[in-house]
Amino acid sequence: MKPEVMVQDLSYRYDDGEEKALDGVSFEVYPGEFLGVVGPNKAGKSTLCQALVGLVPHFFHGNMDGRVVAGGIDTRETTVDELSKTVGLVFQNPFTQVTGAKLTVYEEIAFGLENIGLPRDEITRRVDEMIALFGLEHVRHHNPFELSGGQMQRMAIASIMALRPRIVALDEPTSQLDPQGSAEVFQAVAALRNQGLTVIMAEQKVEKIARYADRVLLMHKGKVAACDRPEVVFSRDNLLDLGIRPPAYTSVARELDLRRPDGTLPVTLDDAVALLRNSSVNS
Amino acid sequence: MRTISLYVEKESFIHGLDPVTKLWLTASLLIIPFIVGNIESTLVCLGINLALLSVARVIRRIFSILAMSLVLIITLFIIQGMFYGGNRTEAFALGSLVFYREGLRYATLLTLRFFNIISASMVLILTTRPSDLIESLVRRGLSPRIGYVLASVLQIIPMMISNTSTIMDAQRSRGMETEGRLVTRMKAYLPLMAPLVMSSLVATQERAMALEVRAFGARNPKTFLHEEIISRHALPIRVLTSLGLVAAVIWRVIL
Repeated sequence: MKPEVMVQDLSYRYDDGEEKALDGVSFEVYPGEFLGVVGPNKAGKSTLCQALVGLVPHFFHGNMDGRVVAGGIDTRETTVDELSKTVGLVFQNPFTQVTGAKLTVYEEIAFGLENIGLPRDEITRRVDEMIALFGLEHVRHHNPFELSGGQMQRMAIASIMALRPRIVALDEPTSQLDPQGSAEVFQAVAALRNQGLTVIMAEQKVEKIARYADRVLLMHKGKVAACDRPEVVFSRDNLLDLGIRPPAYTSVARELDLRRPDGTLPVTLDDAVALLRNSSVNS
Repeated sequence: MRTISLYVEKESFIHGLDPVTKLWLTASLLIIPFIVGNIESTLVCLGINLALLSVARVIRRIFSILAMSLVLIITLFIIQGMFYGGNRTEAFALGSLVFYREGLRYATLLTLRFFNIISASMVLILTTRPSDLIESLVRRGLSPRIGYVLASVLQIIPMMISNTSTIMDAQRSRGMETEGRLVTRMKAYLPLMAPLVMSSLVATQERAMALEVRAFGARNPKTFLHEEIISRHALPIRVLTSLGLVAAVIWRVIL
């Protein structure tokens, strides 16, 4: 299968940076796949997300080596607004994603569509679709700044998804939200999955990543430390050395030496319960 | 969420006019008295503006603004009445203070002009959503970037004020004196500046990135979610105000 995203030997140093934010990063993501990106602060997760939509190097002018090809487009050879039709990016802070120029949620979601010059009936069709998909019907006439954090982040995702990108990157979209808001965002991301989108999500909530991601990219100091299935990555012995705490179920399973036949540890509650039941039956 | 706007939501003929026609009407009624230069034309324009405000059912809103300017108006009458350069004919005297007809007439003209400027501006401001006005101007060639700055500032400034209050609460909770004498209150603003400026700069950069990934920098022609509705009264109003302007210029040149 042809990869949807190809990152090849990507290195990047900000103009004012002493060290490389990204250092020889290579990986591929396949159509419809959910790649979770985990790593401690300063691991390069945000820079990687920005590179996927061309903000690096078009918005931040640093030194970039290697290449990023998203949806068949080399990010260096096109503009950010052109790429926005293929790759979307949702940022950490829901407040700063609100344009501030629109008075209702409906108008806010339409903002990007007006920018790409879609006809009015197509704009309303897409906005109505996004409002329904992300459960924003009851706030469609509200001012965007009046929404809760979770609603605001869902609106931000809806605004990006209205542009109909094939790939969506999310840069720690739940880091500033309460548990309810986080749950709302993950439900929205699950809705994207169901639509067959390719999802790349940087996130600190490893339990959620373990539950939703097909593969996990573990980053440390701008380099790829691992890229594999969640149970393989979270079963590594040196996770804490890399600044990552494994999911709680994985830690408990490690204490109980509860392993799958392939030697990996369970990473979700369902996995752990199933393994525990099996081991009880066997014993 | 509060935005910087004095717009009053009502159903009226004036509210139904498109923003550009209202801008044209306001500008004409504001400029004509200055071109003609007499009290009568100013009175006519002021009368039209007050009638428009009345039709739009927002006239009460301007009374408070006019009342606030009362001190200024009284000062104007006292100074011009006594010290206007063209004072010749005595009108009346209050003890040793002599007021002249020419000065009082000039003060009346200035006062009427002031009232006219306020009421003409209010016809536009009280009956037009700022976002609608900006969108109409963008449709007619105003740069979308300038339009965005104008539109966003109306919402982002109240957000910044709210952030200021949050930062002040945080400083206060750590024992900083923010109330009391003027000097104390001024001192409290100094430590407020660094976090406020830094957070605003960070927010601006993040918002700029968020705009970029929503194709704000696209070079193709923009489209608009809302259809622009031009009332059937728009054309006659634009023609009439244009004729009024032309007539005012002719009056000025000939007479």
